[in-house]
Amino acid sequence: MSLKLDYVLRETASNFRRNITLTLATIITVTISLTLLGAALLFGDAVDNATVRWKDGVEFIVFTDPEISPELEADIRRQLEDSPEVSGFTYIDKDEAYAEVQDLLGDSPELVEVITPERLPASFRVKPSDTLPERVDELAAAFRAQPGVARVVTASETIRAIEDLSSGLRQRVIIIAIVLLVAAAVLILNTIRMALFSRRRDIEVMKLVGAANWFIRVPFMFEGLVQGLIGGVIAIPLIWLTNNFFSVINDDVTLELLRGFTVDPSRVWSLGFQMVGLGAIVGTVGSGIAVTRFLDT
Amino acid sequence: MIRMENVTKVYKGEVLALQNASCEVQRGEFVFLVGPSGSGKSTFMRLLNKEEKPDRGRVFVAGRDIGKLPSWKVPFLRRNIGCVFQDFKLLPNKTVVQNVAFALEVIGSPRSVIKSKVPAILELVGLSKKMHNYPDELSGGEQQRVSIARAFVNRPLILLADEPTGNLDPNTSLGIMTLLDRINRTGTTVVMATHDRSIVDKMRRRVVELDRGQIVRDQSRGVYE
Repeated sequence: MSLKLDYVLRETASNFRRNITLTLATIITVTISLTLLGAALLFGDAVDNATVRWKDGVEFIVFTDPEISPELEADIRRQLEDSPEVSGFTYIDKDEAYAEVQDLLGDSPELVEVITPERLPASFRVKPSDTLPERVDELAAAFRAQPGVARVVTASETIRAIEDLSSGLRQRVIIIAIVLLVAAAVLILNTIRMALFSRRRDIEVMKLVGAANWFIRVPFMFEGLVQGLIGGVIAIPLIWLTNNFFSVINDDVTLELLRGFTVDPSRVWSLGFQMVGLGAIVGTVGSGIAVTRFLDT
Repeated sequence: MIRMENVTKVYKGEVLALQNASCEVQRGEFVFLVGPSGSGKSTFMRLLNKEEKPDRGRVFVAGRDIGKLPSWKVPFLRRNIGCVFQDFKLLPNKTVVQNVAFALEVIGSPRSVIKSKVPAILELVGLSKKMHNYPDELSGGEQQRVSIARAFVNRPLILLADEPTGNLDPNTSLGIMTLLDRINRTGTTVVMATHDRSIVDKMRRRVVELDRGQIVRDQSRGVYE
């Protein structure tokens, strides 16, 4: 006694047809909640990427002239070492900078190609002892005036804004996405219950002639699985779109940010598949619960 | 085949459906359950396939205490008990042959078995010519024959019939009774709840009379009253 695939497929197809509006509503809810959740996670990744250089208390970065002489560079280094207001710094040479760019843009080889280590500036990532924005700005201004310094970028200008924005926004989007996901699960549950209601005669007969509970349950769980899968699959291109939206942001911001505010396409793909998987789980579990409640008489 | 020991069933704590009922039915017997509405006939039947659980007492089917049956085994109990109802309980969107095949399909019977068993049983109930009709294209008697075919296609040990002739005219009822009698002669135990005096009097089988949840009469080759 085996559960035949054609039986399950036939039952699922007929359930879909009978409850087309509810099915669509469920799929759309799954899609929206998965897209939001995916976008929120993606956004978090983008922020992490954008702010990678600003970790561990780095407040400003001194970019040296690409053609700086070793003496001038040693001068800057000495200044940083001597300054009481600098608690520490890291030197990123051209090769390290290039490695980082490769890391961040690894999936856009055409961009990496145009960049060579020689064209990238070396930099000092500076941790000031006093992180008050005004004090950091003063310190940064002092270095900006140094000969051999191409420019100084402070965290306070862009990164603080992004980090502030992201921590709040990311949390909120994730909360909304989770609420929507629960709503989707409840909707799936409801759809299945409606399907069960419209087929209560069938189920009554199935119980009477001795169909095993799982035999009754599997077609409905399969229906939930399909709904979740479809919702998840539709969410993938939508998540891609949100990623493109990040790229638009990139165009607006300074060159330095271009290095950060992108997400690896492979990451987008894996996230997409995770969302499909999540949709499948939510769909299957939701319908499983719905049927179980119906069967437990 | 069936044994009830001091069974009491109370609905919602107040409606007494069966009160200390004890009864034994042998393999191959044909038993009429008679009594006014609400006397506990349907409850008697529903206890047998574990649609209801007794509040007190024990119910044995084929020598097994079904109260001790784990819930996942209940479907296997029901495969041994065919059920026929007054309102037929056919699926309106399935043809005659699909309705009967459905009963085998959902217990996982192989397709080859379904292909051989379904036409044979429809032949038995005399509906071979209407195999591909839908239930609403059939008369009440024909619908009941389909429902009997569905209940019997799996060759259950017991056939429960809850007022199977309740919606049918006397002549059609007679045809249904002939069919049930034939099924009984194959060795299947038949328990039939009915209000139909003429049928009971004509068949002269064992009669168990219920009144307000108590068995007030148990008579072999009995009459309605």
